[in-house]
Amino acid sequence: MSTSVGIVLVSHSAELAAGLRLLVEQIGSDTVPLATAGGTDDGRIGTSYDLVLAAICDADRGAGVVVLPDLGSSVLTARTVLEDHPRPDVLIVDAPFVEGAVAAVVTAASGADLKTVADAAKEARHVLKL
Amino acid sequence: MSSSSDPTTTTATTTSKHETAVVLPANLHARPAGQLARAAAGFTSAIQLEYADRTVNPTGVLAVMGLGATAGSTVTVRAEGHDAEQAVTALAQILAVAE
Repeated sequence: MSTSVGIVLVSHSAELAAGLRLLVEQIGSDTVPLATAGGTDDGRIGTSYDLVLAAICDADRGAGVVVLPDLGSSVLTARTVLEDHPRPDVLIVDAPFVEGAVAAVVTAASGADLKTVADAAKEARHVLKL
Repeated sequence: MSSSSDPTTTTATTTSKHETAVVLPANLHARPAGQLARAAAGFTSAIQLEYADRTVNPTGVLAVMGLGATAGSTVTVRAEGHDAEQAVTALAQILAVAE
């Protein structure tokens, strides 16, 4: 199989991002390139431009990267990073954090391309859990 | 596990339809749903999971979880296409051994 699309989880909380990472590795795959950018540079609740940028580089294996922010400044920081480093193969996706990450990783694990992985994360919003 | 197949109707196009019903040994929770989705993506046939009158495409991990299928209930795997039999066998096996 060729290289997989990479996934970046951006959260206010390093623990939240790390916990979600463990979850998606169990449900989806531990072979999909996955990087987290959680909390501030000094470990507080918040977001870090540098951590987001590093996570994107870390998850990039050449097949593109889907960036999933949790909410608020995670979205703003991720957008700023992508505005400063515009690339057609790095997409920030509007999706529910947990469900979007699960859908994205499972889809990436099956070898799907960037658009398919991004769409899977977006569509997570419309899948009923009850 | 019961199964049926109907290859005669579609031999002209070399596609076939297959179907198997599986009684779940455990709730269809997140981990087996992920296994089903990844397995389903590897086949070209159109695949469906049916549970309690609801039908989903098993490549959608969230949709599979959303079925809320519980231990002891029956899930039907159905596929149509060139690799329908293999698809049904593979997915039924995942369902049959889910913990």
